Amino acid sequence: MLRWRYSRPLLAIFIPLLFAAPLLGNNPLSHPGLQQTMAVAFLYGALALTYDLLFGFTGLLSFGHALFFASGMYLAVLFINHDVLVWWLAVIAAVAITTILAILIGSASLRTGGITFAMVTLAFAEAGHVIISRNFGGLTNGENGIALNADKVPSIFIGVFNTKNLFWISLGTLVIVYFITWWVTESSAGRVFAALRDNETRVAVLGLKPARFKLLSFVIAASMASFIGVVMLMVSGSAAPRFASSDVTIALLLMVILGGAITRWGAVIGGIIYSVASTRLQDLSQSSALHSVPKIISGPLSEPTFILGLLFIFVVMFAPGGLSGAYYHLRLKVISKK
Amino acid sequence: MDTFLLIGITGIGLGALYFLVASGLSLIYGLMGVLNFAHGSFLTVGAFVGLWFSSQVMHVSNTWTFIGAMVLGGLAAGLFALLVERIVISRLYERHIDQALVTVGIALVVGAVLAGWFGNDLRLLPTPAWFINTVSIGSAHIPVDRFLYIGVAIILLLANTALLRFSRIGLVIRAGVENRQMVAALGINVRLAFSTVFFLGGFAAGVGGVLVSAYSNGVSPLIAGSYLIYGFIVVVIGGMGSVPGSFLAAMIIGVIKQYANYYSPGLGDFVVVFLLAGVLLLRPQGLLGKVKS
Repeated sequence: MLRWRYSRPLLAIFIPLLFAAPLLGNNPLSHPGLQQTMAVAFLYGALALTYDLLFGFTGLLSFGHALFFASGMYLAVLFINHDVLVWWLAVIAAVAITTILAILIGSASLRTGGITFAMVTLAFAEAGHVIISRNFGGLTNGENGIALNADKVPSIFIGVFNTKNLFWISLGTLVIVYFITWWVTESSAGRVFAALRDNETRVAVLGLKPARFKLLSFVIAASMASFIGVVMLMVSGSAAPRFASSDVTIALLLMVILGGAITRWGAVIGGIIYSVASTRLQDLSQSSALHSVPKIISGPLSEPTFILGLLFIFVVMFAPGGLSGAYYHLRLKVISKK
Repeated sequence: MDTFLLIGITGIGLGALYFLVASGLSLIYGLMGVLNFAHGSFLTVGAFVGLWFSSQVMHVSNTWTFIGAMVLGGLAAGLFALLVERIVISRLYERHIDQALVTVGIALVVGAVLAGWFGNDLRLLPTPAWFINTVSIGSAHIPVDRFLYIGVAIILLLANTALLRFSRIGLVIRAGVENRQMVAALGINVRLAFSTVFFLGGFAAGVGGVLVSAYSNGVSPLIAGSYLIYGFIVVVIGGMGSVPGSFLAAMIIGVIKQYANYYSPGLGDFVVVFLLAGVLLLRPQGLLGKVKS
């Protein structure tokens, strides 16, 4: 298909450069502020990629993805803070338990399909959000969330000076998630995922069990999301109910659609841009330039979701394929001109 | 016993609010296959118009003001829903996933516009003085507004049923829920039915918005959140496209949720999701839903 043969060599230079950036003298990435912003952005890029595996590659419109992200985060912080497990065992346990949870929820909700599946996953995720935000069982500390106990994790993850370590871990997580997703989508199971998205009946007629492959995709995406949740816990220093809310899943949907579903790099770029944009747009809303505009216009403009939502509607209606779709469209034009 | 009764009737009242959201969702989904995430914004629009009417236009908060607020809120939300359907959704027919996505976008934009204009704080909705009265049944004192919610829901259920049973457009809608391709193939204008369903759904959600603001003591762009999700759950449990199914499911869910929450706060949402999982496992088409071939 359309592959640019320079993309891999360029990435081979760009990614190590990105890794080295915090050490290379005085550049924007040598400041902890931007390192923190980018660490969060990389994690959202990775999370968007796991969502793309579900939505773009397998065609499952799940509204419950945030549940697994938050489950990894909360299980890890509970295990670590309550001295149940050493931190690295806690990470493994959090991912393992979330995987089991994903198998259970996946097998129940995959009995439905299409739009009903979206509603059912939404309901499950909302139950999770309620359990967390209402402090059910007295474990989650409700709306305040739980701060990670700094004494129980290695000191290289703590403090402003060590922000670059978090930057590296996040970038590393993104690279690992990218490679796993690449491997899964290019594998023979990945071909079945794509076939399920395009025509489920035909897959069933060929003698394959659609339910099993859907569950496989669901569980792989969920366990990667839970690992990203654990890393997010390290980066943000605490677990909070907002990570479990359906707003996170809707944001993931926006990232994937804006970046372009079905392409891996589109989802990653979409996630990174969305994450940076929503923090930047928030800063913009406090800027003085908006004060001279009447409130009827400036009010909505100061809400990041206004611009992102409009952009989203535009992309869904007029530019399906998003950013990466536009790029391939352009390339097709260039190639056919030659 | 009195607490039992009080919680039960409050649960039915809450169920009535869920029904107002779910009836439109159910019909829209049943007829058009659209999962309407913008339904929550219809509710919010109705609530804000109701607030505007009862605080800016009328300066006395009596029964007629409240009825006016409900009707105006419903009409505004219905018209808004109609606009959404005509301008956005009608361009995406047969692209079900894209329709769902675009309604997510609309919900975000409407939420952002309202939050930008009015802020996210709760604004008090003036209600008639008799709202705080209680009715005594045996030794139980039950707030009278619960009966109002139930009454409005029953009126809308009856009106809805009558419209679906006895009018021509209702016949087209019912036939469309069963088999839309066949109706279109017979040369009947299904698009008119689509618009009608959106208007009716928006109207019910708008009326629901005014009642929800009375129930939660105020209006904010965030009030619709949990009602939309409960609306989805009600639709799935009741059966897609079945309005009586939605009514039944809404009442069951409202009552169970209240009892569970009384037993232990926060338990209600949990029990409802378990109920949802149970229904999906045992009866995937919902309580009164039909299996689509």
